[in-house]
Amino acid sequence: MFLLHKLNTNLHRVMAIPAIVLFALFFIYPLTQGIGISLTDSNGVTAPSFVGFQNFIDFFQDDRAKTDVYNTVFFALGSAPLLNILGLMYALLLDRPYRGKGIVRAIVYLPAVISPLIMGYIWYFILQPQRGFLYHVFDLFHLQAMDGNWLGDSSTALKVIILVNVWQFVGMTMIIYLAGLQSIPQEIYEASRIDGAGYYTTLRYITLPLLYPSIQINVVTNIIGSLSVFEVIIALTEGGPGYSTESLSIYILRMLYGSFTGYSTAVALILFVMIIVPVLLFLKLTRKHEIEM
Amino acid sequence: MKKVSWYTFVILISLVSLVPFYVLLFLSLKSPTLTFFEGFSPLPDFRFLNFSEAWVSAQIGRAIINSFIITIGAVLIIVFFSSSAGYAIARFSNRMNKIIFYTFLVCMMIPAIIITVPLYSLMKTIGGINTHWAMVLLTASTSLPFAVFLYTNFIRTLPKEIEESAIIDGCTYFSAFWRVTFHFLKPVTSAVIILTGLGIWNNYGQAVFFLQSQEMQTVPLAVSMFFQKYGAQWNLMAAAAMIGLGPAVIAFLIFQRYFIKGITAGALKG
Repeated sequence: MFLLHKLNTNLHRVMAIPAIVLFALFFIYPLTQGIGISLTDSNGVTAPSFVGFQNFIDFFQDDRAKTDVYNTVFFALGSAPLLNILGLMYALLLDRPYRGKGIVRAIVYLPAVISPLIMGYIWYFILQPQRGFLYHVFDLFHLQAMDGNWLGDSSTALKVIILVNVWQFVGMTMIIYLAGLQSIPQEIYEASRIDGAGYYTTLRYITLPLLYPSIQINVVTNIIGSLSVFEVIIALTEGGPGYSTESLSIYILRMLYGSFTGYSTAVALILFVMIIVPVLLFLKLTRKHEIEM
Repeated sequence: MKKVSWYTFVILISLVSLVPFYVLLFLSLKSPTLTFFEGFSPLPDFRFLNFSEAWVSAQIGRAIINSFIITIGAVLIIVFFSSSAGYAIARFSNRMNKIIFYTFLVCMMIPAIIITVPLYSLMKTIGGINTHWAMVLLTASTSLPFAVFLYTNFIRTLPKEIEESAIIDGCTYFSAFWRVTFHFLKPVTSAVIILTGLGIWNNYGQAVFFLQSQEMQTVPLAVSMFFQKYGAQWNLMAAAAMIGLGPAVIAFLIFQRYFIKGITAGALKG
């Protein structure tokens, strides 16, 4: 009885255990296993043998891998800044009392509710050359000349994918910035107005610094999300034409399907480093700008 | 004048955001024709038959049930496990809880695709391929870091007094959490449900590996299979996508009321 009571009163000490146990089993354990697999020539069929860093060496000598690194970084460099600038502009525009506020917010967020895969299919349909939705809209206004095979052209395909991604997730970035804007006390704005600060001065010296937590979350999630992109590409181009829109995530999955298990895991670890380095760098560089309220 | 142009902007933004939905709706009500856009008009044909045809041929009904089981199961685990973990981390700061928190924080930056290979052999070992329970545990654990992060930060902003009166009345810290504190977590719970629930409902990257049998297909799998098989039948594909979208949109509209408040306190403070 005493034991039971003791157990009961100490239960709060172990309340974090279920979460970490589940997480360890399905995430941390596979992660550590992955490091081992990446050092082998495992193909999922025959017994794997240790090959040292050969998989990593292979990666850096593979032209397709180089293209994919370029594509992934290009996508991230286009997507993350656009999402943040546009999301911030939306938030600044919509952060005021007006009728239908809740509805407008819900509408702008709504594209993020669709699966990126289905969003990709929808845009595929819109952008099909000669028969897509856009073509027929152009046609309606006798502007057929504006239509183009954007997804089939390797010089434009990736840019279109970036735009589709921004279109889908700008609402999510906006919501985080809106939440940040609403946590800034109104008195600060009033004080700055009394001091005679104009709109841009206020934005530069008050709003943006105080928005730091939102900027941090948005930039970090956008770096992670854009460097691991794959669903929207699968739906729009399947990585083509050629490998011109293939991202590292798609490469990893294709190597996996091709039974290059060891190699695929090595590429996954390289992608992990490619994500964690810019994230930590960003967090370190912006740390001193943090303002305590 | 300024006000008018502001409203124009807001309406423009809303319309731009609605374009994909309009196109999806337009398509889902289109009649099947060989030359798809013969006599194109921006108004759909209102062919509601598409929905029943898609329902049958995409087996979207079963996919919705599968998605429901997996999403609800995983979200329940996420809410209970991560709220109690967040409570322990926020309120009882000892070395173990700190290590747990920082482990989650670091792992939040690791996209799930990275562990696909070893996860596959783990799933095979535990017999989890093509099962609901394993998919529930898997998708839940992938979302845990973010949820724990939100809950911990949110609980840190709540005053300790809210559970202290319950403890004076003889509650243990454990039961005080579930009886009192948990009810104050509505905003952050809404944010967690929206963000993780939508991610799991739309999960494709893991489902495509671990739910390969036809009976276990989730909504994204069913729609994409449909797309690959009947690529030309846009009207049916769109109808299937519309059906699969419905529950997600409804859930979003229910929980979005607290959404901003939850994000504010969960992610931005603390």
